[in-house]
Amino acid sequence: MLRFCIVVVAVMFFVTGCQTNSPKPGKDISFSTSPKPTIESLIENLENSLNDEIMVVAHRGDWRNAPENSLQAIQNCIDMGVDMVEIDIRETRDGHLVLMHDETIDRTTKASGPVKDWTLDSLRTLKLVDGLGVETEHRIPTLEEALLLAKDNILINLDKSYSIFDKCYDLMKKTGTLDQVIIKGAKTRQEVEQEFGKYLDEVYFMPIVRLPHPDAQKTVDDYLENRLPVAFEFTVKYDTIGFIDYFDDIREKGAGVWVNSLWARHNGGHDDEKAALDPSVYDWFIDHQVDMIQTDRPKLLLDYLRSKNLHL
Amino acid sequence: MKYFIEISTFLLLLMLCPNHLFGQKTARPTAVANTLNHLQNPSGNYVLVVSHRGDWRYAPENSLEAVQRCIDLGVDIVEIDIRLTKDGHLVAMHDLTVDRTTNGKGKVSELTLAEIKQLRLKNACGVRGSQFQVPTLEEIMLVARDKIMVNLDKTEGETVREAYAVLKKTGTVDHAIFKANNSAQEMRAKYGPLMDSIIYMPKLWYGNKEVDSHLAAYEKDIDPFVYETLFDSKEASTFKLLPQLEKQGDSFLAICLWDALCAGYTDEKAIIEGPDKIYGWVISQGADGIMTDRPELLLEYLRAQGLHD
Repeated sequence: MLRFCIVVVAVMFFVTGCQTNSPKPGKDISFSTSPKPTIESLIENLENSLNDEIMVVAHRGDWRNAPENSLQAIQNCIDMGVDMVEIDIRETRDGHLVLMHDETIDRTTKASGPVKDWTLDSLRTLKLVDGLGVETEHRIPTLEEALLLAKDNILINLDKSYSIFDKCYDLMKKTGTLDQVIIKGAKTRQEVEQEFGKYLDEVYFMPIVRLPHPDAQKTVDDYLENRLPVAFEFTVKYDTIGFIDYFDDIREKGAGVWVNSLWARHNGGHDDEKAALDPSVYDWFIDHQVDMIQTDRPKLLLDYLRSKNLHL
Repeated sequence: MKYFIEISTFLLLLMLCPNHLFGQKTARPTAVANTLNHLQNPSGNYVLVVSHRGDWRYAPENSLEAVQRCIDLGVDIVEIDIRLTKDGHLVAMHDLTVDRTTNGKGKVSELTLAEIKQLRLKNACGVRGSQFQVPTLEEIMLVARDKIMVNLDKTEGETVREAYAVLKKTGTVDHAIFKANNSAQEMRAKYGPLMDSIIYMPKLWYGNKEVDSHLAAYEKDIDPFVYETLFDSKEASTFKLLPQLEKQGDSFLAICLWDALCAGYTDEKAIIEGPDKIYGWVISQGADGIMTDRPELLLEYLRAQGLHD
């Protein structure tokens, strides 16, 4: 009966998802048949650390099919049925927040120099390059544009954002996306409460814990007891680290467990490149109670999780 | 009885491996033979997919994995750039230097193969490194053999002889399509009878003021069966040559990568405006193959149209 309900709900999501989608950026038809969850179900799933659904987080958006950190890269994630898109935020010379991974614009545009030396207007004249280094029609988006595109469509994780927490908060509030965004930082509870405590009741904050770390247990337990976070992001240098056995307890206590499949030092060698050769590499995450995976291969991971009934 | 078992085993093997029945002597009924057949006998019922630098969205450009991915997708021809190392080996590399696509620095022509093999390729846009090495042409042809044709770029009338030696060694002379902007006279003067032993695809470039006589000279001497066409607009001299190519019974590739190569009918527009408006138009101009940066999208479209296996 439960299985039947899930199927019915899935079909409903699928149907409503198809009807309500009218994106501004172009639509990659390759993704148009993917089931789309509602934002309510995404938020519910984010807050529920106990269900079997594994969340897929796309690193810098769908950078294979559109420039990284572009609106199109976010739109592709929405169309694919990705749960959350990770984007990188930097501040321009005149105080605007834009999407850019590197400190400079050298790698992702044909121009050069640090973002903080450029004004928003001048950045807007630039075109983002594709994977071959060729200019596309896509431009550097502002955080505000990205939040408006994501609103009611997909969850967002802001990277490089901790030091500009308050500016991000203002834009989240302005765009009505406070309940859709995770901000993160490698900080203890005391540190984050001291620095940004006034926002913590309104914003999802995810502590980053780099394993192995002598204080990992203490840091995590302190959060679990005194300020339950929506999830912890763990980098797992070796898959022999004992702390991995604690992941199921963390989920029992109400926090999600996020591990990156990006490259080997995040996951003890169970990374996306190996998964491209054999997707069962992702079983390591499933078997170790990870319920949020940040990936450079969202399509591959979604297909695999769907085949195991671990994703809508 | 002993013979019975041997004979029946043999017959069983024949049944299980029908491809071997018509083995090496006649045309190999492989993907490569099919592709070659479509190039030599253009019909309008099949459009070949040519993947630019391999499927670089999935694996680093010009990597073995990007070639393998094309094979897995069902791409017909993979386009690869070839350059000569300091010590005379051919490796797959688009730029003159290794700077953009690897974690190293320097000109390919000033690095030895051993030095280049120390490097690791980066993923698209340098999002991050990979574990993959720069492949040699030989490694590429061994992956490609019997599976996919390879279009060699950047040989440009420079390294045809060296590349041919690798093709001979790997038994893939009929797998490789050479190309260049050079004239028939130049190519003949430089390579003599070798031009008759390779598959050669002249480029018809809109910037060539004498493209008509360029084409005529090729028809007269080398008589190629496939051309690469480049037209920046529908007014381009090369665009006006397309009906003539069709009349000659030759096939031609359209290059949908960037605006100036295909009158603005690009892969990016296929995403925004839908593939039918873009690829559909290119096919309606008589293109027998399309070079693309979106092999998955193009394959999906062609298969839906009944124009691809």
